[in-house]
Amino acid sequence: MPEGYDALVVGGGIAGMEASLTLGDAGFDVLLVEKEPSIGGHMIQLSKVFPTTDCAGCITTPKMAATGKHPKIKLLTYSEVEGIEKTGKKFRVRILKKPRYVDENACIGCGRCEQACPVLIPKEWEYGLIGRKAAYIPFEMATPKKALIDLDNCIMCGRCERACPKEAINFLQEPEEIEVEVKAVIIATGYNLFSPEKKKEYGYTGNLTVIHTSANPNIIHGMQMERLLAPSRPYHALVRPGDGKVPERVAWVLCTGSRDKSVGNPLCSRVCCMYSIKQALLYSSAVPFGEAAIYYMDIRAFGKGFEEFYNMVRELGVEFIKGKVAKIESRNGNPVIIAENTETGEIMEEEYDMVVLAIGLLSNPEAVKALGVELDQYGFVAQPQENSNPAVTDKEGIFVAGTATCPKDIPDTVAEASAAAAQCIAYLEEVGS
Amino acid sequence: MTRVNPELAKELEKFGAKSATVCFNCGNCTAVCPLSNNSTPFPRRIIRYLQLGLEERLLGRMEPWLCYYCGECSQTCPRQADPGELMMATRRYLTTRYDWTGLSKRLYTSKVWEVFCVGILFFATLAVIYLFHGPIVTDHTKLETFAPADIVHPTGYVFGAVLAFFLLSNVYRMHKFIMRSGERVNAPLSLYFSELGTLAVHFATQAKLRLCTNKSFWIKHWLLMSGYTAAFILVNVDLVTRWSLTDSPPPAWHPAKILWTYATIAMLYATTVAIIGRLRKREPIHKYSHSTDWMFLILLWFTVFTGLLVRIFMQFDLPLPTYYTFAVHLALAVPLLGLEVPFTKWSHLAYRPFALYFERVRERALQLQQPPQEEEA
Repeated sequence: MPEGYDALVVGGGIAGMEASLTLGDAGFDVLLVEKEPSIGGHMIQLSKVFPTTDCAGCITTPKMAATGKHPKIKLLTYSEVEGIEKTGKKFRVRILKKPRYVDENACIGCGRCEQACPVLIPKEWEYGLIGRKAAYIPFEMATPKKALIDLDNCIMCGRCERACPKEAINFLQEPEEIEVEVKAVIIATGYNLFSPEKKKEYGYTGNLTVIHTSANPNIIHGMQMERLLAPSRPYHALVRPGDGKVPERVAWVLCTGSRDKSVGNPLCSRVCCMYSIKQALLYSSAVPFGEAAIYYMDIRAFGKGFEEFYNMVRELGVEFIKGKVAKIESRNGNPVIIAENTETGEIMEEEYDMVVLAIGLLSNPEAVKALGVELDQYGFVAQPQENSNPAVTDKEGIFVAGTATCPKDIPDTVAEASAAAAQCIAYLEEVGS
Repeated sequence: MTRVNPELAKELEKFGAKSATVCFNCGNCTAVCPLSNNSTPFPRRIIRYLQLGLEERLLGRMEPWLCYYCGECSQTCPRQADPGELMMATRRYLTTRYDWTGLSKRLYTSKVWEVFCVGILFFATLAVIYLFHGPIVTDHTKLETFAPADIVHPTGYVFGAVLAFFLLSNVYRMHKFIMRSGERVNAPLSLYFSELGTLAVHFATQAKLRLCTNKSFWIKHWLLMSGYTAAFILVNVDLVTRWSLTDSPPPAWHPAKILWTYATIAMLYATTVAIIGRLRKREPIHKYSHSTDWMFLILLWFTVFTGLLVRIFMQFDLPLPTYYTFAVHLALAVPLLGLEVPFTKWSHLAYRPFALYFERVRERALQLQQPPQEEEA
């Protein structure tokens, strides 16, 4: 007889955590499955949130801790849902737990294995701005704070094994198939970032999580800028990755991979305008004499306090240039932006110390494939009753929240997560035990 | 006062501009274009005119003739509005507006008219040859006897004069549109002479096209243009020297013959590549083919090919094949020159350099008008 839960939450980002906490607080047993080694999602990587400029980590970390320690929530990290089957009122879910090669119960997160490991590769969590070891803890605030070994890059030297004080390293760990029975499911699988190398004209030749192979490492993407501006930032200073210079002129290129049919995504990502404006503000306070310029097609400041925030940043001296950036070239290691200022009709060629590509949000259809729900033409989870029951999918008992349905900002995501949890509770009460 | 023609974008649809209203004016095309600059920014400005229906301004702009359709704008357009094709369609539209006879518009907007006109000229030419050809000598190839120079050459003169009249009168109308648009300009006649160099240089080198990122376009285009020009010159020289239309053709090393060989190879190569490209539709320039594009390529390819056949048949001394092929060659060349040069696609051979020339004259004339204003200030 497989283990039973009231609800399964797929995805441990801010939406998944919020939904799990709401359900857990209401007294339901929740299983939270996260494919990464830690919960937290994209939000824990962010610097500040717009338009309040509250610290993103200071909001997310307590949520992560609360989720990790909640008596009603069981965490299953580094695991993926493999398949789902409805039998009667219940779902039978197959979950694959990937091997960490570290005994989770024994590991105390001391980080000795990390110190001992001789292998250095780009750290995905910092989008390649710095390195990590093959034996590593995903990041400082990771929940659970347990190490894992990246066997693809491991050289099998055994140093971590010798360094571990709890003898937690186990190279013989196998993938584990877990079967559970749940009454309801909440999808909170989030989004994928647009890979900026797909927009060839912009000269970003690395990939999302690797920058050191890029032809011009001073062309970075929005998430890398988030990391550079975050309190937990990799260099503990705002410097450009190319040569460590403090960038005195920085430009943001909006709609990189959004509203652009030439890269296959006609949708607006809804957050890039605001996160770029926020980054320009944070940059201006980090480098007081720096010049910030934002190249935009339209500024979509639609949310509560957004327009005021935009106007404030504009008045603070950030330059706003209306025109889609056509290409980014390099001169002496500096990125050069070529665009038409459509307000004046002038073709501009401006050199900057650093350019931030404001990459957009794409769907994450691979993550929901196993759940068998209907997707829309862009790969987002379809909402058949978008206006009356936004959390409902085409499958009864499966709910959805956050950016799995479309790009959206954090307040909307959190609100949706609570809504999905509430609808899920109503459903659970209805089906009973 | 600006008059607006709300139907302009719709009118342009007939010429292939199907996506003008899709554009959201981000400016990507203008910035990505290697030919666009701050004094003549395009394609967005032209697309804006289409969207707003600014017909008079559109008529006075020479930017469409500056575009060589490398297709970078179409490849990177976030709306897939195909700015390159919009510029191409605008060139077709402008050609019909420059033309005062109205024939151009019919040829561009009706396939029936196009095929009908080509057919008429083709068969009329064959009929003329049938009625007026000289004696058919069958034991040896005697092309001059079959097509007597004293008939062919005067006919050629008249034909050429008619074409030149139509083309130059259209160029004159183009001049009027360009000079009348925007700030009024009175260009002194001397400027037209001193700027003649611009015309010659741009005609001979197509230097603008070389700025495009893909250099192979320039080479192919230049081969076609130079091949055609060489053939044109040789035909004219022939009218005086009669070196080719003779019963005893000159040897292969004759300079004129070498030039002919170049012209044949250049044109045959460029048209074949263009036909293959249009069938494959890989590059943006070849993605959309208007019926006039096909007509032009097919007529040109067959004209050059039959011309080559005539030479081969003469070489092997095959009298009848030579005469027949020569007749077909002429019957193809007449609609090719008669319709394409003054009325449709080939007129750009004149419009492109003249556009640059007029713009330069206009620019200089404006400079000459300015100094007094500066003194006042």
